[in-house]
Amino acid sequence: MSSHLRTVRQWLGDWTLSGGLVLAVIFLALGIVWPLLRMLALSLSPEGLAEFAVVLGRGTFQRIAINTLVMGAAVATLGTGLAFLFAFVQVWVNVPFKRLLHWIALLPIISPPFAVALAVISLFGRSGLITYRLFGLRYDIYGLDGLTLVLSLSFFPAAYIGLLGMMRALNPALDEAAINLGASRWHVFRTVTVPILVPGILGSFLLLFVEAMADLGNPLALGGDFTVLASRIYIAIIGEYDMIAGAVLSVNLLVPTLALFLAQNYIVNRKSYVTVTGKPAGTPRLISSPFARWSLFAAVASVAALIVLIYGTVLVGAFTRLFGIDYSFTLDNFKFVLFGYGSQAMVTTVILAGIAMPIAALIGTLVAYLVTRKQFPGRNALDFASMLGLAVPGTVLGIGYVLAYNQPIEVAGITLLPKLAGGAGLLGGAAVIVLSFAARSMPASVRNGTATLQQIDPVLEEASLNLGADNGTTFRRITLPLIRPAVLSGMIYAFARSMTSLSSIIFLTTPYTKIMVAQIFTEADAGRFGNAFAYCVILIAIVLVAIALLYRVIGSTTGAEREASLGG
Amino acid sequence: MSARITQRITIAITTSALILAACAPATPAAPAGEATAPVAAPTTLTVLCTPQEDWCQAMVQAFEAKTGIKTAYVRMSSGESLARLRASASAPEFSVWFGGPADGYIAANAEGLLEPYVSPNAANVPETYKDAAGSWTGTYVGALGFCSNTDVLGSLGVEMPDSWSDLLDPALKGQVVMAHPATSGTAFTAFWTQVTLDGGDIDEAFTYFADLHKNILQYTKSGSAPGQMVGRGEAAVAVIFSHDCVKFIDEGMTSLALSFPSEGTGYEIGGVGIIKNAPEPEAARMWVDWTLTAEAQEIGATVKSYQLPTLPDAKVSERSVVLSEVNIVDYDFVSAGENRQAVTERFDAEIAPAPKE
Repeated sequence: MSSHLRTVRQWLGDWTLSGGLVLAVIFLALGIVWPLLRMLALSLSPEGLAEFAVVLGRGTFQRIAINTLVMGAAVATLGTGLAFLFAFVQVWVNVPFKRLLHWIALLPIISPPFAVALAVISLFGRSGLITYRLFGLRYDIYGLDGLTLVLSLSFFPAAYIGLLGMMRALNPALDEAAINLGASRWHVFRTVTVPILVPGILGSFLLLFVEAMADLGNPLALGGDFTVLASRIYIAIIGEYDMIAGAVLSVNLLVPTLALFLAQNYIVNRKSYVTVTGKPAGTPRLISSPFARWSLFAAVASVAALIVLIYGTVLVGAFTRLFGIDYSFTLDNFKFVLFGYGSQAMVTTVILAGIAMPIAALIGTLVAYLVTRKQFPGRNALDFASMLGLAVPGTVLGIGYVLAYNQPIEVAGITLLPKLAGGAGLLGGAAVIVLSFAARSMPASVRNGTATLQQIDPVLEEASLNLGADNGTTFRRITLPLIRPAVLSGMIYAFARSMTSLSSIIFLTTPYTKIMVAQIFTEADAGRFGNAFAYCVILIAIVLVAIALLYRVIGSTTGAEREASLGG
Repeated sequence: MSARITQRITIAITTSALILAACAPATPAAPAGEATAPVAAPTTLTVLCTPQEDWCQAMVQAFEAKTGIKTAYVRMSSGESLARLRASASAPEFSVWFGGPADGYIAANAEGLLEPYVSPNAANVPETYKDAAGSWTGTYVGALGFCSNTDVLGSLGVEMPDSWSDLLDPALKGQVVMAHPATSGTAFTAFWTQVTLDGGDIDEAFTYFADLHKNILQYTKSGSAPGQMVGRGEAAVAVIFSHDCVKFIDEGMTSLALSFPSEGTGYEIGGVGIIKNAPEPEAARMWVDWTLTAEAQEIGATVKSYQLPTLPDAKVSERSVVLSEVNIVDYDFVSAGENRQAVTERFDAEIAPAPKE
């Protein structure tokens, strides 16, 4: 009798498992794989292949391809340099305001596109407050130089977090040994520390390369005549009404970004360089030379000052009538965003990002659990597909969505899926935007979940299973409470990324679904920088409030603690 | 183990497919319901709107107040609009398209995306501002002009430009901004104006823009962006529509001043047209009729959009530039539309990438 019950329970347990797997597969198929396949199918169709020949033959394409690579390399170099500098100072140099510097370095993570670009135009442009008003320089910020600065500042925080973790994990005993053998600090740094960090540096270089190539907002706002692939795709769709050219150009952007992303993934996941033993082997020896200390501090502090200046400009600009012309104080910009017709976009975006947030975090965690803990056919394929949302440039995915969901999906006369995209689509086109938000932010949850699960010994779960709990119960009662912090950070990331993503939804907005970032673009383009800045300030505030709320709701008492205290 | 899981997955997939299949019959019922809708008075309308956001908003509100029809709109550039209409041709999401240059409508009509409708009110619109067959009707017009920053011009010691050749002054090196003809109807209008002035010789026009290129700071992506760049003092002269320049001045860019080329300038006609297979055909016709009333055409000026009404009896804002006061070229919209693709591609290949020395 009891063994019979147990079989039933086991079956139910596996059913939740396979149910979860089906859910994840359906989500990835709809959110990533099908749109990508539609995009590839169009570009490999006879018309697409003909377009390939035309596009690749044009001199302008070669120029654009070179521009894209040069910009990617420049951003990757400068961004990695900044990330390394900030991380190095955090770990090895004793400087004042360390915590403050850390938070300033993280600031760009939650900022919407355009915020930094518009502030940089206002400060350092041809009529910039600093370049022109202060120094009388007519500096042309549009183009490669401006883009490199803005993209490096926007994307280096992610690389900084990675390098910081890596440096903190280094075993100081290695340095100590070298120093004890008579090597100078500088010599040790060159011959011991840097070689160990090379994979990490290379990883962040490639990550920034991919991010820079995939970005759309900044090249639109600050590119000027410097056209890159992402902005060229946008022009092909928006300016030339040419879906086929858009798809063909997308393939040309997709292939290098995907290759770089995979290379980056491979390097970072090899892990052979990490000297984590689990046991601390002493604290790192701080740099003592006053010259080195203060020159490093000066470098970091001036970059931090630049970041503060830029965000200060965003904040001040939001209260300014017409930055650059009329500096009088006004609340009109906020009136427009909060109560004028700008408010519709604000409300819609928060709702849609809010819906996407738990979907991304839960499915992401589920995928992480399945991939790290379970064996099943197609596990690697699932792992790979779950990363695509991060690796595929938003513009490319956006085109895929338009192609895949502008008509209902029918098989043999039966409608499997109604039309999703556009104003006549399901829920006024909102469903497809939520899908896009969730697909783009889920990979972070997978990564967080995987990293956390790898640190938790599976014996805990095995014990639960041996005691008769099924897979569902074990996941709910044992695994989930333990990985709650990972779920929380996944949710925060999902919300912040959804609120600030432009490239993937710019082709999907409808009369009923106005998205804040797209509205910022409209306002900036019309020269109403005040409204654009106010949108940016409100957007940053919303994300910060959401983070605080999530911490209160989920973060304060982790499930693990509660379960442990209840258990005894 | 894994075989068992595979089996479970198969079961689960089959189940979900069955669930989806079971849901399917519900969908065909919806269009049937829609089909009966036009019998009753129209209740909703979805507008594809190309002018500036606040104008779209004001139009939609006024129309709702007048007719009680719940009206939604989405604002899109003219190019984007055409792409969306094309993408959803089999099941259009919009019923009527309002605003944006006539060449967009001509292109859409050539692809069969528009439903001809000759509104009774179109009789009052001059011949040059409409398609006789009713695929589109002009609701506003506006002339191209030079929008200059007087402060910047003063510091350069250059007079306000009042001819196309004034823009070639070497003192204006890196001081002229216009949009890229491939992405902006405004810039394409500027290009075709040159072609018209050169008696239809496209090569001559290219020679002019190759010369002008030396003075160009940047080819922006959107048509009106040069105005705000010049307004903020980043350059001296923008080639944009005159009504956009007046709007920037009204929004506080007080150093801007407007002038026109003496040789002649081009203009745009903003159209309105019904989309083929429109889901709300009755409401769409009501919208077209309404936009061809003086009352509707006077709304633009209330939100600082100073394009001219096409109806002779509509009141003209004192801020508007009256076409009769400007030297207007004989602009051939059909020929412009036919040559657009070839011209923009050539511009992108020959002019834009050339060094500016």
